[in-house]
Amino acid sequence: MAYLTLSDISKIYADAPAVQDFNLDVEKGEFVSFLGPSGCGKTTTLRMVAGFEIPTTGKITLDGADITNKAPNQRNVGMVFQSYALFPNMTVAQNIGFGLRIRKENESAIAARVKEMLAIINMEKRGDSYPYQLSGGQQQRVALARALAIRPHVLLLDEPLSALDAKIRVSLRAEIRSIQQKLGITTIYVTHDQEEALSLSDRIVVMNVGVIEQVGTPSEIYNFPTTAFVANFVGTLNTANAEVVDPAKSIISVDGVPFETAKDLKSSKKGDKVRISIRPERFSFADEQKKDNVLDCTIENITFLGSIVRIQILIGNTKFYMDIFNNPFLELLKVGEKGQVTCSREAVLVLNE
Amino acid sequence: MKLFPRIRKVPFWSWIWFILGTLYFILPLYATFNFSLRMQRDVIGFRAYVRAFEDPNFLETFLFSNVLAVATIIASIVLIVPTAYWIRLRLPEARRITEFITLLPFVIPAIILVFGLIRIYSSPITVPFTGIELFRPLTNTRAGTNILIVAGYMVLAMPYMYRSVDTGMRTVDVRTLTEAAQSLGASWFAIITRIILPNIRAALLSGALLTFAIVLGEVILASFLGVDAFGPYLFLLGQHRAYEPAALSFVTFLLTWIAMGFIQLLTGGQGQAAGAH
Repeated sequence: MAYLTLSDISKIYADAPAVQDFNLDVEKGEFVSFLGPSGCGKTTTLRMVAGFEIPTTGKITLDGADITNKAPNQRNVGMVFQSYALFPNMTVAQNIGFGLRIRKENESAIAARVKEMLAIINMEKRGDSYPYQLSGGQQQRVALARALAIRPHVLLLDEPLSALDAKIRVSLRAEIRSIQQKLGITTIYVTHDQEEALSLSDRIVVMNVGVIEQVGTPSEIYNFPTTAFVANFVGTLNTANAEVVDPAKSIISVDGVPFETAKDLKSSKKGDKVRISIRPERFSFADEQKKDNVLDCTIENITFLGSIVRIQILIGNTKFYMDIFNNPFLELLKVGEKGQVTCSREAVLVLNE
Repeated sequence: MKLFPRIRKVPFWSWIWFILGTLYFILPLYATFNFSLRMQRDVIGFRAYVRAFEDPNFLETFLFSNVLAVATIIASIVLIVPTAYWIRLRLPEARRITEFITLLPFVIPAIILVFGLIRIYSSPITVPFTGIELFRPLTNTRAGTNILIVAGYMVLAMPYMYRSVDTGMRTVDVRTLTEAAQSLGASWFAIITRIILPNIRAALLSGALLTFAIVLGEVILASFLGVDAFGPYLFLLGQHRAYEPAALSFVTFLLTWIAMGFIQLLTGGQGQAAGAH
């Protein structure tokens, strides 16, 4: 049985459902991210795990115990907030030790645990500082230490890096992942930043308008999105309307140009409309070895994005993006020139609407 | 090299308004002080102060009003802090009606309040339709009257106390701090006493100071309820003497200023920081 289970969870407010039919099993020590746009229900779901919201229907179990209706202060769940939520009247050390004092642990045990936590977040010398004396990144590290100090069953992080600048975000997310792996703590992380979710998680739950769109590893979510929403939300993507041409050979046509896909289309009929997606990096310029989907194209635009070069190509009448790695000796066709590109059968994904 | 390089240039009209404002507050105070020193003809001295302090009623009523003020402050905090907290946390829709209620003491004169209190609490309080007596008339006993006057003071101080507390709560993210404390295992009592109260300390002290000033100077409630408080004493003194009331008024001013300085001392450093985010 999974460590944390959310079964048939829904949350309905007076005006509209916020979360519907949410089912998820989280294993002990797993890092799961809820990813989706604003209003998709990811924070509401997290708050239901924390106990700040009670589900309208469904059940939440943690380590075998039903916690659906338990008060937040009875769940032993650590939470980190976007706005840090450090207690302004307490020092860093007092903040970290707060949960332990509430549990009436003895002072020497609290002092030892606070010291240990300060070491984990590399802030050994800031124990006597007040929150207002710390930078945003430092405050969030203290908030993380405070949540971890109580040895929670589950650590919940609600967009913890959103208020920080880009550079600190990247370094702190690596720190969060490293601490999580070191302590082996089961973690749920809410974010709308796909890069954060992809880089941190063991599994990602992609949500949209209150329902789960797809659950999978970062690689599965990125490489094999099962719905048009996931495909569009995660990473840059080419999507196009297509028509089934030969179901037996899995050949479809995009505006008259045939594409071969790895998807089994035997259940489809000739003429069925489908929607396909191809990641930009799955295209490459055709060479003699490549036999799948060799397609004539015209170069429409070339953009340098640092480590990659994004090329807009026209295949038939449909525009696609192609990403290739930049290198100093790269020789490219010029805008307006014609050439050939290729992509594997596996790169052509047929999406569920 | 400039002597005071860090002094910012303040516009001329700002100085004018500042000086006018200062004179508006300082001149009456100076006039009162000056008058209080002239009890003896052609002699400047503290005789009025000595006379005022010699009166045993002064100390008695002053100390008693202090006790009433402290009781009012404690009762107000117990009533208003959880109310304002709950409205911010769970009942934002009740905010407007609560603000309206807290403003009522501005439009309903104290005389109406005191007659209402006397009318209701001068007869026994019974269980409706049964005649079973719950409480004897509160106005019949000294303790009961003191409870009534503290309740009355709470009403009079409510606009100031509620606003101070509510403003204090606005400066901290009450909801998130509460949730953070809850996730760490804190009970409601622990959240209010360890998180909310310390973080609105400056606001509480301001509200307490205003309440203190109201109680010390209040005349109507104390007179009609027959309580020997400082307000009626000062009023009576003013009717029979000229210089002592001026001396005592000035002393009251001084005490208020000292209390404000005390608040600054207590909250000037960490108290300000507590609101910072």
